[in-house]
Amino acid sequence: MTVPLLKVENLRIELATRDGVAPVIDDLSLELGVGETLSFVGESGCGKSMTALAIMGLLPEKVGRIASGHIWFNGEDLTKADDARLRQIRGNEISMIFQEPMTSLNPVYTIGEQISEVLRRHKGLSQRQAHAKAIELLDAVRIPNPQARVDDYPHQMSGGQRQRVMIAIALACEPKILIADEPTTALDVTVQAQIFDLLRDLGQQTGTATILITHDMGAVAEMAERMIVMYAGRKAEEGPVDQVIDSPRHPYTKGLISCVPHLLDTLTDERPELTEIGGIVPSLRDFGKNECLFASRCTIADEKCRANRPPEAEFDNQQRSACWHAGQV
Amino acid sequence: MMAEAETQKDDMLLEVKDLTVRFPVKRGGIFGGKSYLYAVDDISFEVKRGETLAIVGESGSGKTTAALAVARLVEAYSGTVRLGDEDFLALKDDDLRRARAKVQIIFQDPYASLNPRLRAEDIVSEPIESLNPLGKSERQTVIDGLFKDVGLRPEQQRLFPHQFSGGQRQRIGIARALATQPELIICDEPVSALDVAVQAQILNLLRKLQKERDLTFLFISHDLGVVQHMCDSIAVMYMGKIVEHADRKSLFNDPKHPYTQALLSAVPSVDAKRRRNTKRILIPGDPPDPINPPQGCRFANRCPIAEAKCNESQPPLREIKGGHKVACHLA
Ligand SMILES: Nc1ncnc2c1ncn2[C@@H]1O[C@H](COP(=O)(O)OP(=O)(O)O)[C@@H](O)[C@H]1O
Ligand SMILES: Nc1ncnc2c1ncn2[C@@H]1O[C@H](COP(=O)(O)OP(=O)(O)O)[C@@H](O)[C@H]1O
Ligand code: SF4
Ligand SMILES: [Mg+2]
Ligand SMILES: [Mg+2]
Repeated sequence: MTVPLLKVENLRIELATRDGVAPVIDDLSLELGVGETLSFVGESGCGKSMTALAIMGLLPEKVGRIASGHIWFNGEDLTKADDARLRQIRGNEISMIFQEPMTSLNPVYTIGEQISEVLRRHKGLSQRQAHAKAIELLDAVRIPNPQARVDDYPHQMSGGQRQRVMIAIALACEPKILIADEPTTALDVTVQAQIFDLLRDLGQQTGTATILITHDMGAVAEMAERMIVMYAGRKAEEGPVDQVIDSPRHPYTKGLISCVPHLLDTLTDERPELTEIGGIVPSLRDFGKNECLFASRCTIADEKCRANRPPEAEFDNQQRSACWHAGQV
Repeated sequence: MMAEAETQKDDMLLEVKDLTVRFPVKRGGIFGGKSYLYAVDDISFEVKRGETLAIVGESGSGKTTAALAVARLVEAYSGTVRLGDEDFLALKDDDLRRARAKVQIIFQDPYASLNPRLRAEDIVSEPIESLNPLGKSERQTVIDGLFKDVGLRPEQQRLFPHQFSGGQRQRIGIARALATQPELIICDEPVSALDVAVQAQILNLLRKLQKERDLTFLFISHDLGVVQHMCDSIAVMYMGKIVEHADRKSLFNDPKHPYTQALLSAVPSVDAKRRRNTKRILIPGDPPDPINPPQGCRFANRCPIAEAKCNESQPPLREIKGGHKVACHLA
């Protein structure tokens, strides 16, 4: 295999909380290939956003720090990079879009000015060039009538249009990696379909690799090639999307899939009770414990699960599961 | 024949007819007179006792407003709401107070809808107390029963809302809704703020309670997977109008309105077969300005099959086969 575009190795991120220091990300390793789409799923509070922020070099100041591990991007260790270098990488090589585009857009500038600003700063384009390129980008993200809309302010656009503007800004510098953190959670499903369609097409055209963070298994199935299921700051399962969804190897993954009422190809009268995953995600202060953090919610947990953190079991089909009983799931 | 028609009528708990809700909006400019936003525009639907009608549609389509009007929490501009034998919107004073107890609402955000300064037990018992004050031991019996039914522990009665998780808070909201022994419960996005695992717990609980207590649900959600699981019939709203109304299987397996078809095709699915068989219908653009709706079909500007007549007149909601109603000139 060639060198991956991004390689995260045994990453540990610690947060300073009122109850002491907690490993919000605990020994996480992953790889992302050129042009690949990788998805992160898991309930809220499991560390998905924190992983993204760590890759971007945007951990909450004073509170969060990389305690150990490496983030290799194109052979460069980002955990060793200084702020100036990280700023250069952000926007240029790795960009991110968030759930709520309104909070990331500046209300007092037109969207044209905001896209141009990125192009001038990172690409050194002149004002005129940047403006022309901004219109091109709005067209690429399928904003109708871009020549006129380039002078709109964010509040003049719908939620879906604002998210497209964010995508335009994120893609302005043709990054190698686009991290999309719940980009459609606040949007209607018809708008989500347009955004997904757009992300897929742009990914194919530009060869940008995508990390899609979501809580929707359907979205994972639709968009990603590989997936990582996060639980309480740790990787519970990883593997090719179709295989993981078809035959999950971790009780948490299995629960996440079967607790949701899915739209199936043909609806019948049958409506079995939904499988429940009892309880909730443990609180941050319990994250570091040497045990399976899922044990309290797991239906097949035993003494071993409560006494030791499970290692990753690897299967022939590239599925990996951090469960003592992965073979029986 | 007669007899059958009559039993069917008796089975209906809720009948909404020609319901319209409008809000005054300010227009700018010197001629800025009063105009209105018709958030719910002449809609009709019915729900059988013990069943669930789901209302779906994109945000701003009027789902919440319709539900609030049914519960008399916003004023209807016109139309009628029949609840059992009563003309609910016409009731006054004591009759109204008594009837109000039969309709309860569960909201999306359990945190915002619970008074932070009250203990869980007081939140749950408040609706009964305001109806008719109970004696101390009677009150405790009622509270114990409600807590047990929604899966909360007795010692949690003394806690305040912030001491509960999101799912537990929604359980408190459900217990409060059950307190007056309602017949109709309006669930407005009851699980949208919850993680999927907790969502399953709440959905199972709602279905269990429905069976045990013969409850009727008006269930609002934008999540079509959830709706599919919960509903017996379904109404699809677009810009204040119901564009399609059918039973669960007809609507999901054989949607007739182009908007419904687009909506269903947009839902990402884990089912590989569904993904293979679903041709995604992308609807470009946005809905028109609700203050200034087009005179024809409101979906026409985004509809992939619209013809000239679609821009000319509004298609009425009409039955096209056994109870399946559609508002489209071309369906
Ligand atoms: N700025 C912050 N300060 C302190 N704790 C935080 C901060 N951001 C997130 N956390 C905590 O870190 C954990 C993981 O959060 P996050 O990565 O946002 O989860 P996810 O994106 O999977 O929902 C949560 O317990 C969250 O409360
Ligand atoms: N109190 C109000 N005053 C003015 N307009 C309102 C009010 N409540 C809702 N609306 C408008 O009515 C329409 C329908 O809103 P709503 O019923 O909340 O839709 P939904 O629940 O389907 O998202 C929207 O255009 C909304 O902006
Ligand atoms: S390690 Fe044990 S507790 Fe954890 S998921 Fe596997 S079986 Fe369940
Ligand atoms: Mg997050
Ligand atoms: Mg609403």
